[in-house]
Amino acid sequence: MAPQDGLTSTLIRPEFAAPRPLRSIPLLKVDDLSVAYGAHQVVTDVGFELGRGESLALIGESGSGKSTIARAVLRLLPSGSRASGRVSFDGQEILRMPERGFRPLRGRAIGFVPQDPGNSLNPVRTIGAQAHEAAALLDEPDRAMRKQLILDILAQVGLDNPQRVYDSYPHQLSGGMLQRVLIGLAILPRPSLLVADEPTSALDVTIQKRILDLLSRLQDELSISLLLITHDLAIAAERADTLVVLKDGIVQETGRTTAVFASPASTYARKLHADVPALNPDRYAGLRDPGFRRAKAEPPKIEVSAVTKTFTLDGQTLTAVDSVSFGVPAGTTHALVGESGSGKTTTIRLLLGLEQPDAGTITVAGEQLNGRSPTELRAAWRHLQLIYQNPFTSLDPTWKVEQLIREPLDRFRIGTGQERDERVHKALADVGLGQHLLARKPGALSGGQRQRVAIARALVLKPDVIVLDEPTSALDVSVQADIVEVLLSLQAELGLTYVFVSHDLALVRQLAHTVSVMHRGRIVEHGTVTDIFDNPRQPYTCSLLASIPSGVTDVADAPQPQLIVAAE
Amino acid sequence: MSGPYLRYAAKRLVQALAVILLAYVFTFVVVSILPGDPITNVLRDPQNGFTEDEIRQIIAAQGLDQPILVQLWTSLSHFLTGDLGLSVRSSRPVTTLIAEVLPSTLVLASSAFAVALLLAATIAYGTQFLPKRFGQGLLRGFPSLFLSVPNFVIGLVLIHVFGFQLGLFRVIAPNSFWATFFAAIALGIPISAQIAEVLIANLDHESGQDYAAVARGRGLGQFRLFAMHLLKPSSLPVVTIVALTIGELLGGSLITETVFGRTGIGSLVQRSVSTQDLPVLQAVVSLAAVVFVLVNLIADLVYPLLDPRVKLVGGPKHRPTTADDSSAGTPQAVTS
Repeated sequence: MAPQDGLTSTLIRPEFAAPRPLRSIPLLKVDDLSVAYGAHQVVTDVGFELGRGESLALIGESGSGKSTIARAVLRLLPSGSRASGRVSFDGQEILRMPERGFRPLRGRAIGFVPQDPGNSLNPVRTIGAQAHEAAALLDEPDRAMRKQLILDILAQVGLDNPQRVYDSYPHQLSGGMLQRVLIGLAILPRPSLLVADEPTSALDVTIQKRILDLLSRLQDELSISLLLITHDLAIAAERADTLVVLKDGIVQETGRTTAVFASPASTYARKLHADVPALNPDRYAGLRDPGFRRAKAEPPKIEVSAVTKTFTLDGQTLTAVDSVSFGVPAGTTHALVGESGSGKTTTIRLLLGLEQPDAGTITVAGEQLNGRSPTELRAAWRHLQLIYQNPFTSLDPTWKVEQLIREPLDRFRIGTGQERDERVHKALADVGLGQHLLARKPGALSGGQRQRVAIARALVLKPDVIVLDEPTSALDVSVQADIVEVLLSLQAELGLTYVFVSHDLALVRQLAHTVSVMHRGRIVEHGTVTDIFDNPRQPYTCSLLASIPSGVTDVADAPQPQLIVAAE
Repeated sequence: MSGPYLRYAAKRLVQALAVILLAYVFTFVVVSILPGDPITNVLRDPQNGFTEDEIRQIIAAQGLDQPILVQLWTSLSHFLTGDLGLSVRSSRPVTTLIAEVLPSTLVLASSAFAVALLLAATIAYGTQFLPKRFGQGLLRGFPSLFLSVPNFVIGLVLIHVFGFQLGLFRVIAPNSFWATFFAAIALGIPISAQIAEVLIANLDHESGQDYAAVARGRGLGQFRLFAMHLLKPSSLPVVTIVALTIGELLGGSLITETVFGRTGIGSLVQRSVSTQDLPVLQAVVSLAAVVFVLVNLIADLVYPLLDPRVKLVGGPKHRPTTADDSSAGTPQAVTS
């Protein structure tokens, strides 16, 4: 891993620094903002203030209206929405300003960093062509000079080879590089406010930290105000001076980060605090810890030894999984941790027999799985179930919950009709869902309910081993906490063995017994969860651990937060 | 022009040739299976007064007593050298017959195509800029209206209004400028509907994309957003649609020529069908196949040049510059 220390040494050209702040009026003041899409009210009477050079985080789960507020400030609300209340920027009311009057502010005074860098640049135009749009907002008549400014800014956001990036099309760059480009384009016209809408939620953990570091650094150096929208309380606490906690479009709590974070006053903020894995490593200790004894006593349920898988793509050979070995004792949870492209998904596909390894053996419950015929594999799948990442796409939307859970029993011809009904009811009760949901279709269920249905569908066969592929990454933190609780209780009760794939180290620390850290197809470090988290030996593991947001500002020399006018 | 592109182009060219040959063989087989033998019909016509011996001699001279595979080979080799045989009715070379009428059809088809593109673009771009209260919805209804009216009806209406009522063109001089103009409109309108529908759907889709919002956040106005960002990606799929509508253009021109009384491939086909002039029909079908394949070939060759994301079969054109972000950590100090 390249050290990140180099970032802070980059020189900032004096002209990029905003003029010294006027402290009297806040840069952004939102009062009684309400937004409705048609008849559906998504934001109700929201108010907050953001001072110059300050940072404020809007925190909330999906449906909390946080992105809608950001769009309202940028005046990028979709057509068909109505906004009322007051939004004043630099003393000017902007919500009711005519479009012609607001346009000069957009980009020039208010910059926007979007959520998903992969879709936020025009795919058929080069980075350079799009950067020139941002550069056009500068008072620089000479195109060659503008290009130089673009290249400077690309270097400033930490891109190695600005000229190559300038000539590239978006699909030729990685997500992290694209987000750097987008941040660069946003700060190029030297705005005084930067609105960042979940700027890292589509990125890997280590890249997430680098992007957040970059934003904090730029905010400091250029004294830009930052309006950060995030679902992650730990990130918000680490990066913002002020927090605004939202639920269903209503402000639950607002105040200085230190105050809100240390002693949340509202019920919702307290729950949010308790649900963030990074802040509560021992939350499920009671449910998990019995497994540590099993880990020592039980024979391995799963043994993967020296498994290798290569793919050939465009004539190039890619080793997706490179002599990977691990064992999982019965009744415990083994976590495979790594960033995208680390080979963790290929590893579980091999484990499930969906791919055949080029070398090595895979043994589950004493039976070798690799090299089996499809019929023999089918028999093994009865005891080996998979839960997918995204419950919004993994359940057939035209089926009822009852059919969905019952299908595996029908396929494997287990029991009589009566027995199948009983097992469906039992499985549904096991995952904590009421019987009244049996007749519903997935469309009428929440994300958490859908993932519970997916778990019930796996449980109904009474498997010994369940492979979980990022089972909570598509869900909100509070829903994630429920699902994790369900999974751990089931393990404690039924002695299930889990293989848990995740990029979220904080979550892994909460629920796993043993961990394998994967990097570029290899297991770089392996051990019990306490070994890995307390005494990491490999630099890659250290960099992963360092990227867990701690909720505490770790920049020692950060300037003291400037005074903002108290709202009350 | 990079190596992978040339390899890709060569591959597509070979495929196109193969399709043309297969189309020729297919029509040949179909024609020989069809009941009724026009040559025998003509020769046995009592008015021509051939004796059985003479008939046998002519058939032998034409090679029609040979096995079907030999006949196919002869016919195919003639086709490849540009010899399409003689018309059964007029005994003139088929190539001459086609060459006489082809220019008229080409003029009609290409002007209809221009009309279709222009009309489609106007409608589609109108839907993006026209405010809702000034009939944007009406404009959006045009494509389905155009699709549901057959082009001969449009043709008849145009002839009636502009030919007879307004006297803008003389119906008996079908190759005059105005007559061609209105024929092109009649033929172009249904085709414009298909192109417009795709364009509108794409423009709506692209303007809802994240990058459009981000570009607006960068301070772009409505028109610049449209011209610099939305136009190109939403026009790309039109290249494919255009290639597909060529078939319609050919079929439609046959009908339109009949309605407007123009000479052209349409009238040639009509005459040849009624007289069972199989060599001419075989030639026209092969010609249609050639045009169709050529246009699709052009679309295939142009597309990768327009869309940088298209990955060519046969070699990796675009390699990601770096696999991950790890190299982005060390910025270079820029001195200026």
